[in-house]
Amino acid sequence: MRNGEYWNPILETLPPEKLRQLQLKKFREIVTWAYDHSRFYRKLYADAGLEPGDIKTCDDIRKVPKIEKAMLREVQGPGKDPFPYGDILSVPLEQVTDYRQTSGTTGQPVYQADTAQDWECSTEAYCYALYAQGYRDTDRLFVPFGYNIFIAFWAYHYAGQKLGCEVIPGGVLNTEARVLKMQELRATAMGATPTYVLGMAETARKLGLDPPKDLFIRKITVAGEPGGSIPATRQRMEAAWGARVYDQVGSTEIGHWGWECRHQSGLHVNEGFFLVEIEDVDTGEPITEPGQRGKMVVTNFNRLAQPCIRFDVKDIIAWNAQSCDCGRTFRLLQGGLQGRADDITKVKGVLLSPAAIEEVVRDIPQLSDEYYVVVTKKGDIDDITLKVEILPEHQGEADAIRTALTDQLRLKTNLGYHIEFHDYGSLPRSQAKTRRFQDLRPH
Amino acid sequence: MTPEYDIKAMAARIAALRRDATALKEISGGIEAVGRNADRILACVRMLEIDVSDAAGLDEG
Repeated sequence: MRNGEYWNPILETLPPEKLRQLQLKKFREIVTWAYDHSRFYRKLYADAGLEPGDIKTCDDIRKVPKIEKAMLREVQGPGKDPFPYGDILSVPLEQVTDYRQTSGTTGQPVYQADTAQDWECSTEAYCYALYAQGYRDTDRLFVPFGYNIFIAFWAYHYAGQKLGCEVIPGGVLNTEARVLKMQELRATAMGATPTYVLGMAETARKLGLDPPKDLFIRKITVAGEPGGSIPATRQRMEAAWGARVYDQVGSTEIGHWGWECRHQSGLHVNEGFFLVEIEDVDTGEPITEPGQRGKMVVTNFNRLAQPCIRFDVKDIIAWNAQSCDCGRTFRLLQGGLQGRADDITKVKGVLLSPAAIEEVVRDIPQLSDEYYVVVTKKGDIDDITLKVEILPEHQGEADAIRTALTDQLRLKTNLGYHIEFHDYGSLPRSQAKTRRFQDLRPH
Repeated sequence: MTPEYDIKAMAARIAALRRDATALKEISGGIEAVGRNADRILACVRMLEIDVSDAAGLDEG
């Protein structure tokens, strides 16, 4: 046992057979809670002929129906009681203390209710990550991010505080001011998206600063994009800042389920708090063999207000055959999140659904049916180009159409685009299934 | 398991914390400042149960 290495050695070094035993026990508990307290889960399980007592072994876990984002949307929203969470809410509404939501880029946002205890648990899960990455009470954390209705970096802030770090909220500043504030206060660590980590370094250089020499950041936790687990991007970030960069993964509905430790051997799954299963994308059969890619299904053992049980996330992952030198028994993933089972991808840290773009383009009658979306990297920043055609009879309305597109795309996808107008009929037409979304970023 | 730590002793203390915080809330007489802070303590106690007590139970199984 190495004191000082682990936030909680009791769980982090639990022998694998004990860890599986704990996971089965906690899985049964959360299923029982959901069955007893959520109309959504009770109906889901009753329709499947399942009662919590039927779960006796780890193999029985697969009998429990999975949930998907679309199912959550269906039970929530206007007219649903208790508003806005609907039948999935598992505590009295007056016990809900925290509201957050998904970005809504794949459709109607999912509303997320948490009790104070649920949020404490999100913070606790993040503490495991930060401590594993070497954060200590001597660190001064900078959060170069405007806290929003989304989950991003809230838990980073509170976990840092819980570890005893000093947390600086840098949200309302622009990038230049953030860099200067980091320098002024000698911040030692920060959390941001990979894109923004690189963008800030570029800004610092424009200010005449060399981040490794003139700033004091030595630890960076990245989230929201896959870059933290992409070696070339990580190297670029580490070189730009003279800092160690660690990947961290999670989501609004699930919580913060995975992170890298100081050894940077891959993402550890926090198996004391979460059950991560991997399924074959086509057959749904379980995958336990390291190196074999499949779809992630995840359960949060401790979230009570809005339980997350066997959530089909559609992220593609694979177990890593290697164990980590850190001594944790929490398993590693190979290569982080390797993509998604559907078309949804992350651009500038935001989940982007091609369907959402199509919805906007097709809702503007002055545009033709054809469009293409091209995502590239300009320098270190993601760039999205939307190519559309204006119908001949509306050629004089380009400015109004550009404004409408920009506004609606921002509203529906939370992203900005370069809009290119092409001559009517000039974009490729295909009779086969058209690939409208081209992601040309190097991976 | 982790022989350097007396997990069962810690779990017993954690259970005592839960009993005390629950009892405090029960006798709060509706004083918000007492009840709400007791709730905060109980949320932290739950973290200790997740971190320690739940694993302590495995040894008994």
